[in-house]
Amino acid sequence: MSSLPLDEIERIVAAALTGDRGAESRMLVALRPGVLAVLRFGAFHRWIDAEDLTQETLHIVVERVRARTIDDPRKVFAFAAATARNLALNAARKMLRQQTVVDSELIDELAQNLEMEQSELSDSDDRHLAQAVAELLEELPTERDRQLLTRFYLDGTDKHLLCSELGLSPKHFDRVLMRARTRLRTIIERRAPHLALFPRITSILLPLAMTFTFWVRHFGSW
Amino acid sequence: MKSLDRNSLEEQTRLVSRYVAGDLSRSERAEFEAWLIASPELAADVEMERRLRRGIASAARRGWLERGVPIERDRGRERHWQIALAASVLVSVGLALSILAPREPASSTGASRSAANGQRVSTVRTVRLSSFRGNGSTPDVSFSLAAAPGALTIEPDVVVLTCEDGAIELECAGGHSPQQPQYAEYEMDVVNRRGGTLAWRSSRQAPVARTQLSFTLRDPGTLDAGNYDVVVRGHSADHAEVVARFWLQVK
Repeated sequence: MSSLPLDEIERIVAAALTGDRGAESRMLVALRPGVLAVLRFGAFHRWIDAEDLTQETLHIVVERVRARTIDDPRKVFAFAAATARNLALNAARKMLRQQTVVDSELIDELAQNLEMEQSELSDSDDRHLAQAVAELLEELPTERDRQLLTRFYLDGTDKHLLCSELGLSPKHFDRVLMRARTRLRTIIERRAPHLALFPRITSILLPLAMTFTFWVRHFGSW
Repeated sequence: MKSLDRNSLEEQTRLVSRYVAGDLSRSERAEFEAWLIASPELAADVEMERRLRRGIASAARRGWLERGVPIERDRGRERHWQIALAASVLVSVGLALSILAPREPASSTGASRSAANGQRVSTVRTVRLSSFRGNGSTPDVSFSLAAAPGALTIEPDVVVLTCEDGAIELECAGGHSPQQPQYAEYEMDVVNRRGGTLAWRSSRQAPVARTQLSFTLRDPGTLDAGNYDVVVRGHSADHAEVVARFWLQVK
């Protein structure tokens, strides 16, 4: 994925805070993957529609930026994250309030939502993913790294215990994990690019559509 | 949020695994998520962490990790030639033997009949099921005795995650998401609905990657035709509970 460098995003948001509408559009494009990530990976991801809430979050962020009540780009990032979290919490609460929850039903609901999460990938994608991971494990330079990944992810063995058993420092442990993720991304991009991250076309079109909406609402015409 | 420099981003990258596992405190998570907003690179890393976890669990479920070598790789095609060659040699030897070997008088023993008629395709059928089914008008799993698989693997998606104190909550104390399987071990029973007799019981197993269970019934063709309840039971040290029930039909 080609992503903007961190300081470039900070510059874009800083420009948007000065009222630059072009920068505002770029800000929406730049922030969208992060907002979507917060919603998809956050505590309530099983109970929400992440795409919907991403738009709602960006809408609130743009309004706050236009209101000029924030003066620091870093505060915009924190505000966007907090907004996404609050919207997700409210959506999850609303969903559970709408049901008459007794224990068994709650369990059922939880299980069904677990199923929703599981079915995020089709069987064939799940297979592609398993193959990519198997390829990754086979490519690892040492048996120790293989052990580390399978025991950490599959058996849930504690990081500190693994470090002491395998004779690794915590930093080395983190490096193995980081390298594994980077390598997996490369393999996935080759085998099944659609599994790599958010569909790229939506990450461009959606913010453009939102900018158009805001513009028309603000100025009355395009 | 710390200054937006690369060192701080690398610090956050070390937290990716803990974030995905839900192990960050509320304040750590808030800071991490502000970084997520600012860095698509970090977001991609988080996505890969999730894919890695899921992919490893999936590969393990398929038995690829136990063998140590992933299957269905390109080099599998190379093996096809070797297998084809070996098969040709075997067929040739078999043909030669059948022509040259002295013939026994024909006998129709029970054993040979059952070998001829009872031969099944030795396949493994895997079925993934969500929770609380079995009450509808169609069975969740069915097969006919004529085409019974060599093994039936049922992967019920029934493990509920709870907080450390056992509570089923959206968010646990300290802002963590639930991480603890509700029961330490699970087992599966196959109960014949006619007479309520136990046809098969699995050994108990702990969930893999917190939520994944896989029960394999060897040679399901030995079951009688009829309807069965497939019952999944959770076990803790002092308690057991049926957590899911499915309907298996053998035709």
